Amino acid sequence: MRGSERGGPRATLVVAAVVAAVTLGLGLAACGGGGGGGIEGGGNTESEQVKLEGKPSGSLTISNWPLYIDEATVSAFEKQDGVSVKYIEDVNDNAEFFGKMQPLLAQGESGGRSVFVVTDWMANKMHELGYLQNFDKSGLPNFEQNLRSELKSPSYDPSRDYSAPWQSGMTGLTVRTDLAPDVHSICDLFDPQYKGKVDMLTEMRDTVPLVMKCMGVDPSEATEQEWLDAIDKIKGAVDSGQIRRFTGNDYARDLTSGDAVAVIGWSGDAVQLQADNPNIEWRMPTEGCILWSDNMVIPVGAPNPTAAEAWVNYVYDPEVQADIAEYVNYVTPVEGVKEILAKREPELAKNQLIFPSDSFTKNCTIQPTPTGEEEQKITAAFEAVLNG
Amino acid sequence: MTRGESESRTALAWRWLREHGVNIVAGLVVVYMLIPIAVIFVFSFNDPAGRYNFTWVGFTLSHWGNAFGIPELTSALVTSLKLALLATLISTAIGTLMALALVRHQFLGRRAANILIVIPMATPEVVMGSALLSFFLILNAPPLGFQTLLIAHVMFCISFVVVVVRSRLIGFDRNLEEAARDLGATPLQTFRLVTLPLIMPGILGAAMLAFALSIDDFVISNFNSGTTVTFPLYIFGAAQRGIPVEVNVIAMILFGATVAAMGFVTWQQQRAEKMTKARPEQEQAPIPAPGVAAAQ
Amino acid sequence: MRLGRRTVPYALLAPGAVWLVLFFVIPLYYMGKLSLESGTIGALEFSWQWSNYGDALSLYDTQFVRSFVYAGLATLFALLLAYPLAYAIAFKAGRWRNLLLFAVVAPFFTTYLIRTLAWETILSDQSPVVSVLDFLGLAPGGHVLATGGAVIAGLTYNFLPFMVLPIYASLERIDERLIEAAKDLYASSRQAFWRVTLPLSAPGVVAGTLLTFIPASGDYVNAQFLGSAGNQMIGNVVQSLFLKQSNYPSAAALSFVLMAVILIVVLVYIRFAGSEALMGEEAAR
Repeated sequence: MRGSERGGPRATLVVAAVVAAVTLGLGLAACGGGGGGGIEGGGNTESEQVKLEGKPSGSLTISNWPLYIDEATVSAFEKQDGVSVKYIEDVNDNAEFFGKMQPLLAQGESGGRSVFVVTDWMANKMHELGYLQNFDKSGLPNFEQNLRSELKSPSYDPSRDYSAPWQSGMTGLTVRTDLAPDVHSICDLFDPQYKGKVDMLTEMRDTVPLVMKCMGVDPSEATEQEWLDAIDKIKGAVDSGQIRRFTGNDYARDLTSGDAVAVIGWSGDAVQLQADNPNIEWRMPTEGCILWSDNMVIPVGAPNPTAAEAWVNYVYDPEVQADIAEYVNYVTPVEGVKEILAKREPELAKNQLIFPSDSFTKNCTIQPTPTGEEEQKITAAFEAVLNG
Repeated sequence: MTRGESESRTALAWRWLREHGVNIVAGLVVVYMLIPIAVIFVFSFNDPAGRYNFTWVGFTLSHWGNAFGIPELTSALVTSLKLALLATLISTAIGTLMALALVRHQFLGRRAANILIVIPMATPEVVMGSALLSFFLILNAPPLGFQTLLIAHVMFCISFVVVVVRSRLIGFDRNLEEAARDLGATPLQTFRLVTLPLIMPGILGAAMLAFALSIDDFVISNFNSGTTVTFPLYIFGAAQRGIPVEVNVIAMILFGATVAAMGFVTWQQQRAEKMTKARPEQEQAPIPAPGVAAAQ
Repeated sequence: MRLGRRTVPYALLAPGAVWLVLFFVIPLYYMGKLSLESGTIGALEFSWQWSNYGDALSLYDTQFVRSFVYAGLATLFALLLAYPLAYAIAFKAGRWRNLLLFAVVAPFFTTYLIRTLAWETILSDQSPVVSVLDFLGLAPGGHVLATGGAVIAGLTYNFLPFMVLPIYASLERIDERLIEAAKDLYASSRQAFWRVTLPLSAPGVVAGTLLTFIPASGDYVNAQFLGSAGNQMIGNVVQSLFLKQSNYPSAAALSFVLMAVILIVVLVYIRFAGSEALMGEEAAR
């Protein structure tokens, strides 16, 4: 019963060889289509164009960030346009979403999604890889008419061919007014008196440009070396223990508990945080902030692009957008919402975080993004700081 | 006080500590395990004005009343439960069979099979998730969603089931099976009436582990879920913008449900024991063989 | 029946083996191919780029060492905490045993992230827990979060059930009469434990240790939420390479290196602890 194992090592080798052969065989057979993996599929340089087909109908799947829409808009859209909507909140992070979608998009699929929402730089990246479709503007009259002028022509999509802002926001300083009342500039974050109580964002395109501003560099025209220098400055702060950690949204937790007193944070969160803790305040840094937008895009392989465009058009109606803006508390991209909200909730209309005046944002820069090989190098350098 | 008396008092103290020391430590460990649960529990009664649930604002039962009121959360929960149940059934069955083969039989390729079991446990989840996704895309089937999630979950559960059941099977007293066969039972009957009941605690433990693993999985699910949202996926998403209090409520309900289910089973067992004691006219069972006693 | 005897193990093994080969081995083969490619997304090409492996080892050696140290410590702490608990459940719990087992596993049902976030609350600098730890000298600098200690604590906590269950399973099989016999032969309780109970529970300890150490080495959630820039583990690096840097070849290479190192550690451990425990041969009785 307990005799020595029959066969021994030689048998194992034989079996291993057989398994390997079978595996290879199967692999090669399945390898036929797809060229060894969905990962490699390249993009084409010519972007596909959305083809509208009459009135919108059928069903629509939208991917968005969590808590980025009020409760009523989706059902109102369904009623008005007769489209059934599946609204999922599975975009948590641009890079993660990209990582999840890339194999699909490379094969021309979108996993069932017709619209998703990603930040400027990610929209740009996807477009460059040929993963997005260009809009047919005839289906988007509201968009054409009501998009705020300052958002009409960003450097990465000058004619707004493929991206339609969902909401905009500002990245700046979020501070505990009771614990760090004197923090007004990014450079203040490097002040040793706050050692160990400063958080920065894992989002490279928010953190590094802000630090560049502290160093007197204009992020929209920074060279690769200037990016790397700013990253070095951050590394110095990490090594000295100045920076407690790098966070996504969870800087909110650190601020609330007082573990951090001053962080780089997003404007929309502050309104929410203040509701429970009036000592938390978003401040425009003296050097200026970073302006970004999350954009609706239609991917290749999107089922029902007609309904997708109907959705984009729908949310650019100021009345609809007013509902969204009331709940989300970020900067709305649609003209005319401020006037509507001024009647409903005057406090909200006056809030600079939701309706920033031009003078408020005069020093702000639109979120820059390095491209090509620069991007790889800079991203690798930043990630090396994050990953210790 | 004589030396003898004072000695015996210290000795008594030591003995008490030795006897109960283990229980005390065990109790502390259980407390340690439940501390975060207590925090989650407390915050499920919080009443924040905003979307974040970090500061204690006030007590309310409204979220408990609204536990299933967020449709996306509820549907994510239902999806996760269905998925976990199916994945558990399939992986436990497959894994138990594998464990039986590996422990009880000598055969060509046994070592290779052992290695095949261990490697998935050593693989980072990111790799497994991403590799599987590419594979499904190459095959172009099945469509990403519940089916691919199920396949993925069964895949990573099998190894754990095998390891748990195997550690239960080792040292299992084969004499009992021989005895059954000597009494004329066929191998199938022996398996069904002798082996299976005795290894059942191991199988149940493995099933429990598989269920917990499946319901908790995030990384692999994230890659292979298509547009299906599971409970952990929903929470990871919500964590970016503020986890609604209802999530705490549901977490507590899940926790409570499992403890309650087990409490019920324990209660049933106790009742069964009491009833056996209440029938003295039945013969005392002969002194059980070592394996049987240990399996109780 | 005679005919079927030889094929019985293969029949038992088949479903699982097929599943694993199809959905684990083959996808990994493609990952392997990927690890030898070079270039960027959309323009990857297979070029036997073995340097990916060399780079992985040299660039991330700090994180490797750190991961194994953290995982090792977490495993050790988990063992020290789990054994008494498993022992108590197996020998002293009587009818409450199943309930206690469920109390051990039940926290799993509240989702990994929620538990870890709860620890963020518990271990925040202002909390009474940290004040106590500071008093005891266990919290240098007055904070626990954003340090390696917090990451290890998180790992220990999250993998404790993996340690408890196998140890319990093997303790529970032990016939108490063996222990009685030892005592009849004049062994003290302690001797009986060290010489009878402990060795008999070895398979469970080995299984539990492996089930804890292996996933802990590749974990990233604890480091992400409880640690800071200097505490990231190799799992975080893999995530970053895959998802943030879209550097699939390096990510794949790094993953294989991680798997290889873990397997080596496991094999060494098994040699040391006795291969019977893992390889499934029946223990001598």
